[in-house]
Amino acid sequence: MLLAIVLGLLGGCQYRVPRDAGGLTIALAADPSSLNPITSNDAATGEVLSYVMETLADRDPATLAWRPKLAERWEVSPDHQTFTYHLRDGVRWHDGAPFTADDVLYSYERIMDPAVDAAVLRGYYKEILHVEKVDEATVRFTYRQPYFMAFEFTAGIPIVPKHAFDDGTDFNTHPAGRHPLGTGPYRFVEWVTSRRIVLERNPSYWRAAPAIDGVVFRIVPERTVSFQALKKGEIDFATLFPVQWARQTNNPRFLDRFTKHRYYLPTEMYLGWNIRRPYFSDRRVRQALTMLIDRERMLARTEFGEGRLISGPAYPDHPSYDRSIASWPYDPASAARLLDDAGWTDSDGDGWRDKDGIPFRFRFLYRAGSSRGDLLANVLREDLQKVGIGVDAQRLEWTTYVKTINDRAFDAMFGGWVGPVEMDQYQLWHSSQAAKGSNHVGFADPEADRLLEAARREFEPEKRAALYRQLHRILHEEQPYTFLLNPPELVAADRRFTNVRAYTLGFESLEWGVNRAVELWQ
Amino acid sequence: MTRYFFQRMLLMIPTLIGITIVTFGIMKLAPGDPAELKAQTVQGTLKGGSLPEEIIAETRKLYGLDKPVWEQYARWVWRLVRLDFGDSFKDHRPVLAKLKDAIPITLCLSFATIAITYIIAIPLGVVAALKPRGWLDQLIAAGLFILYSLPAFWVAMLLLVFFAGGEYWNWFPLTGFISDGAERLPLLNRFANIGWHLVLPIVCLTYGGFAFLSRFSRASMLEVIRQDFIRTARAKGLSEWRVLVRHALRNAMIPLVTLMGTLLPALLGGSVIIEQIFAIPGMGRLGFEAVLARDYPVIMAIAVIDAVLTLLSLLLSDLLYVVVDPRITFGSRS
Repeated sequence: MLLAIVLGLLGGCQYRVPRDAGGLTIALAADPSSLNPITSNDAATGEVLSYVMETLADRDPATLAWRPKLAERWEVSPDHQTFTYHLRDGVRWHDGAPFTADDVLYSYERIMDPAVDAAVLRGYYKEILHVEKVDEATVRFTYRQPYFMAFEFTAGIPIVPKHAFDDGTDFNTHPAGRHPLGTGPYRFVEWVTSRRIVLERNPSYWRAAPAIDGVVFRIVPERTVSFQALKKGEIDFATLFPVQWARQTNNPRFLDRFTKHRYYLPTEMYLGWNIRRPYFSDRRVRQALTMLIDRERMLARTEFGEGRLISGPAYPDHPSYDRSIASWPYDPASAARLLDDAGWTDSDGDGWRDKDGIPFRFRFLYRAGSSRGDLLANVLREDLQKVGIGVDAQRLEWTTYVKTINDRAFDAMFGGWVGPVEMDQYQLWHSSQAAKGSNHVGFADPEADRLLEAARREFEPEKRAALYRQLHRILHEEQPYTFLLNPPELVAADRRFTNVRAYTLGFESLEWGVNRAVELWQ
Repeated sequence: MTRYFFQRMLLMIPTLIGITIVTFGIMKLAPGDPAELKAQTVQGTLKGGSLPEEIIAETRKLYGLDKPVWEQYARWVWRLVRLDFGDSFKDHRPVLAKLKDAIPITLCLSFATIAITYIIAIPLGVVAALKPRGWLDQLIAAGLFILYSLPAFWVAMLLLVFFAGGEYWNWFPLTGFISDGAERLPLLNRFANIGWHLVLPIVCLTYGGFAFLSRFSRASMLEVIRQDFIRTARAKGLSEWRVLVRHALRNAMIPLVTLMGTLLPALLGGSVIIEQIFAIPGMGRLGFEAVLARDYPVIMAIAVIDAVLTLLSLLLSDLLYVVVDPRITFGSRS
């Protein structure tokens, strides 16, 4: 009956809704947990808020240099412990209230408040001794000790409007967390949970207001479905899978309507070898494993050639990555020799290598739902079997996967991260971080420790980069990880938008123009 | 009957408590700690860098996870008694508000799905029962079993590409429950807009259910047709139509009516896969995301709702037996 009613109505009336050509519609893969930049740290929140909120300074996506935003200029004390930011004059929140030093101070205090759900952020700012308001337009952060990341942390501190939040109620559940007020080029209009978030142009933006009328985020959890929506013209801007980029978007029909853009974020994929395990304690074994993995073929097969093979942990577009280091080649013969040298031979003739009575058979941990993980597990099993090494895939759901890594209860793991442009690698490789920190694989090397400690207190960017390049060489020799690749961000954008350019770190949507003479439906 | 009803209602209380204790226990035993998870993931990937223990401890305290398990349970029950499901760990919204968003959408989908399944499957079963093992029976059986064996995510993707993708037949929208801006349409057109959105998801949700229901009604019908009173009715000289509809069908429907009781929990269950693909924010997605994020308050709220509905549906089925079959009574014999 319902169907009959529906079909009857379909024939008779206008049930479609037109779409405004002056606006930008973007697919968002998940509903943000909130739009409060202090209590929420998921990717969706960050993407939406990047249009609404601003920080004191940010990195220029083209040059990677810091450029002023809410702070007009800043001074760093000679001892590198005090950072003084002079706030831009005349900046207003979207409700018209002026932006002042009190907002910065208030945001810092909320982050440090144990009653606020901001664990990750609090970790970043715990080394701050105090933050003072010098005057209405000046804030000063003082650190306990000099640290090269301190500038990045203070410049990027999320700032929320004090006048909207500070009414004595709970910060975590405050309604302003779902109706964000910012200073940015777009202001918040509405959020229909799990369906869409709507922003409109901020006409009184402190810089020239954007040409685009507004931004609509449509929440579409399935990437294959958002790709269909893109092709159909329901959305204007979407991230593509490598297979879509390489195979499904090269026809004239697609290219007439969309432009394609590629850039690389500091994203990295790796295989981590738990050095505490007898199999991986010897550097020669880890080198051999790297040489047994045909990464070129993997790149071609799973990534359709889209991605950069890497040999170390730093962002390849940053000077702390040593481009002169060549990755280990795919060389099963040399790998087998290395394994023999390390004492892993088939002593009992059962077809599997062993040493001291332990057969070389390890578990390979990866996250359930990762198609790259599934493929890698198959490739590893097949390739390592040929040289007498057994692999058992251990596929765990995300939460359990994280727990297993924390407990160091894995043999080998497939992982990935999105880092800052320049990362403090202390947490990843320093021997003090092996028990509790992010040095999950238990890497320990005195020379690496020395470099990591020195880099934390080196404020000359070029010298620091040189220290990290030395570290890169040690990691290349030691192979605690088999560094796999830096995957690209692959994006398609409607040609209605003009001047769309992908810089090193992505787009600058403020410079986009839009052609409104197009009829669109949703 | 009234007495029986109240006895059953009273008995439901200890059952419900038992269910919540077991659910709470299983949830706590599952690996993963929401506080640690929150402290260690940034943008859905592992965070490079570790957090001091005291910050994780603060987060645990904030979520009330620092207390012993029995106390956490007691606090949860005390809140539940006052109909407060607590706040979600994920976004600090009241769980009730999240349920209020999801329930109408899921109810709408489930009602349509169940209604359409019944309307199509039962006549198919009856028709099949008229000439058992005839060509029509075999054809229906084969067709329904083929449908039953098609995986929903695959069918959903095919339907999307062919009927909504814009490259073949651009008949339906790709995702969602209602168009953005459809609030501006007149009421009737707004309903049409919702209906237009739900056609493909409902197709995916219904086709697999036909097999079970139609086989069930076929079996029930065959059972009745073999009985003496049908032979008597035919012997009386009633028309075949009258025999089938008035005498056979009515009796064959008894088990189907009682089966409806068990549909109650299914009404609010939702479907994870279909909701995910069609981007419909219903109960299935809410529950699935809560489990992945170890969002304890949401998990428990959904478990309680499911448990209550299941218990009620069992009671309802028993009561329906009495209503449709006068031969069954409860306790009034003494």
